[in-house]
Amino acid sequence: MEAQKVDMFILNSAKYFESYQINGIRERLIALDDSKWAMISSVQLKDPTVSLIVSILAGSLGIDRFLIGDIGLGIGKLITCGGLGIWAIIDWFLIMGATREKNMQKIQQLLY
Amino acid sequence: MVRNKLYLLLFTACTAGYAWLTITYYRTVSLALEPGVCLIKRVTGIPCPSCGSTRSVLSVLNGDIAGALLWNPFGIIIVCFLVIVPFWILFDVLRRQSTLFNFYNRTELFLKRKWIAIPAILLVLLNWIWNISKGL
Repeated sequence: MEAQKVDMFILNSAKYFESYQINGIRERLIALDDSKWAMISSVQLKDPTVSLIVSILAGSLGIDRFLIGDIGLGIGKLITCGGLGIWAIIDWFLIMGATREKNMQKIQQLLY
Repeated sequence: MVRNKLYLLLFTACTAGYAWLTITYYRTVSLALEPGVCLIKRVTGIPCPSCGSTRSVLSVLNGDIAGALLWNPFGIIIVCFLVIVPFWILFDVLRRQSTLFNFYNRTELFLKRKWIAIPAILLVLLNWIWNISKGL
């Protein structure tokens, strides 16, 4: 793919990934065939800031985990009052990383 | 999530659950008189959908299943989890299999379907309304 296109994509979606992953994604995108561009540019990624807000407001109900697709952990949080309130607080710090990890998994399915 | 991370997490959850049960079982003060650990209840004063599950699990321990359902039906799910999961993890670790991991992934996919997810959410909301009306 053209470097210009890829750089535009990276600029727009850098916040969805961990910083150490970005270089790898960029190199992989440049090596990728042009026909995948439509899929790559339209993939739905979750915003880590949104999941942080949801986690602070409704973390005890596990809604942050449901939002990023961790259904099992969401149910775990829901039926235990957010892990007795402790897990809910821990997740305020973990949820942004977890969201980026989920985004990486999603784009990896397209890249490889 | 990878297999070992999931097992570690589930094992931690079970340990924490049993520790919490032990603490509450041997405590003399009634749970209803304390604000408890629930964040939502502490902040807003309204019980959350899962408030009362500790009392529900304790009811099961005393052999009172009907009482457990009245406190909170989630307690029954928690009892099943606490009884089954440790043995399942042990079985998987000893035989180097990942049946629990596969089951977890399949359940997640199953629950993501609309005709399962929407009734489930409605049930949780109904349970919440019931909890508030019970004044847990």
